[in-house]
Amino acid sequence: MNETHPSIERIVDYLHGEVSPAEDAAIYAHFATCPECEGKRAEEVAITDALRAYARATEREMPPGLATRIRTTAVDRQPTAWQRVLLGFRPAMLVPVAAVAALAIYVGYDSWHRTAIATPIKAADYVNNHAAMAASAPFGDAAPPLTLTSDDATP
Amino acid sequence: MEQQAFLERAIEQYGKATYNFAYRLTGNDADASDLTQEAFIRVFRAWESFKPGTSFLSWIYRIVTNLHRDELRRRKGRFYQEEIPERAVAPIEEYVEAHLSEPVSKALAGLTPEQRKIVLLADVEGCSYQEIGQVVGCSVGTVRSRLHRARGQLRKLVNRYTKSSS
Repeated sequence: MNETHPSIERIVDYLHGEVSPAEDAAIYAHFATCPECEGKRAEEVAITDALRAYARATEREMPPGLATRIRTTAVDRQPTAWQRVLLGFRPAMLVPVAAVAALAIYVGYDSWHRTAIATPIKAADYVNNHAAMAASAPFGDAAPPLTLTSDDATP
Repeated sequence: MEQQAFLERAIEQYGKATYNFAYRLTGNDADASDLTQEAFIRVFRAWESFKPGTSFLSWIYRIVTNLHRDELRRRKGRFYQEEIPERAVAPIEEYVEAHLSEPVSKALAGLTPEQRKIVLLADVEGCSYQEIGQVVGCSVGTVRSRLHRARGQLRKLVNRYTKSSS
């Protein structure tokens, strides 16, 4: 809806009761003051009325015997216990079941064939290397404290 | 038997409405009867899945709509596209052309089957957008835009036929 006139789509929604109560009230108030929009509303109402008149004109009773045929066929075509089981294998059911089965087979196969591979890292080597590096760094935590001697003072 | 009592009540209360809906979709008595029969058989089989408090008409209209779509696909022998822009030949058009001359009837026949279905559900059956969405299997937004398009087309056709008849 623009500032003043509701669009034809909003008028259709309004006539079908598909706008919010606040918008409904605003559109209703607008029709009272706007002959142009009121005309559009009347045109849409006329189409709906004509559709309903058409529906009434073509309305008919169920053909005689149809209700009986439905009752008889419904009972006759009741699925047997075995057919009910087979109904579970409709495509809609079969696809997810097949997907789960394929996933289970894949996961089972993968874990069955996977061999435990020992990580070839020797942790002790790292510890030793680290200790050696720390000891050799002159200002590292592990380095001996730096002390001045008389030899250092003399040029 | 509870299942049969359910069917009995369903036929009694909604048989006529279902048959008329099927008739408006197919346009002939034989197809409408077959569609109605098949729909009630589905209802009979799946009666336990019906949730009390929900709309029975929405449920059976959805069944009729799906059966009708399947039938159209089967008859066309190819994949049925819902958005076919050209006018699809439907039995209702033949009926309307032969029996009715009012501009609205002709205009209705000029809509695509999908547009006609939505217009009939919204304006004749008085379904809400949400109910129509449940019946035809789409969102409320899609229902809204399809209905607007269908009403626009209907408006145009009604004006055209009104001018040509006067």
